[in-house]
Amino acid sequence: MDATPWLRQVAQALAEVELEAVLIGNAAAALQGAPLTTVDFDFFFRRTPRNVRKLKELAGRLGAVLWQPYYPISGLFRMTRDDDSLQLDFMSVIHGAKSFEGVRRRADWIEVGGAKLLVASLADVVRSKEAASRPRDLAVLDILKKTLDETEGASKKGARGAQGRK
Amino acid sequence: MKRKAHRRKALAALKVENERAVVDMIRRWQALPPGKRTNFLRKRLRWGASAL
Repeated sequence: MDATPWLRQVAQALAEVELEAVLIGNAAAALQGAPLTTVDFDFFFRRTPRNVRKLKELAGRLGAVLWQPYYPISGLFRMTRDDDSLQLDFMSVIHGAKSFEGVRRRADWIEVGGAKLLVASLADVVRSKEAASRPRDLAVLDILKKTLDETEGASKKGARGAQGRK
Repeated sequence: MKRKAHRRKALAALKVENERAVVDMIRRWQALPPGKRTNFLRKRLRWGASAL
């Protein structure tokens, strides 16, 4: 299923409420070139009272419900929309990443359907999955690492080609 | 004995073939521009199942 309509809608709503959030997880890996699938979108954000207010505003704009499942201390905010099963998870802490700043600095702006979304680097997704080490993370780790190798191989080849042309 | 050796070789070749197929799939996906790598969403179905 094409994620473009949802991603566009979410990216536009994030821009409207001025909430800075980085797409992470399998959705980020897919946009960064890993052939993976997912059922939801995970975001990393900085948890401040202002940003939590913005999350509520975002939920309103998307016609979704914002709630904190099970353990509030986990820093997870889940946004769900019953009409079409849209699910967005916003996390303020993730495995394998010390700070939001670092992940944001290494992230790329990717344009999806005319809207721009901040997407975590593949290396950060790999680091996070490795650190989390849940069975579902380990299941995709091999393909993520192969993709990372391919990406790095391609960029090195590109750099060598550019040097050769000079 | 001969059949066992053949089976071992066939399985080894199958493993290499599989590895190649994975790399091929990655390269095909990477050949798309980032904004077009969006056909990754699985729709939730009943009973916890999902489909592309």
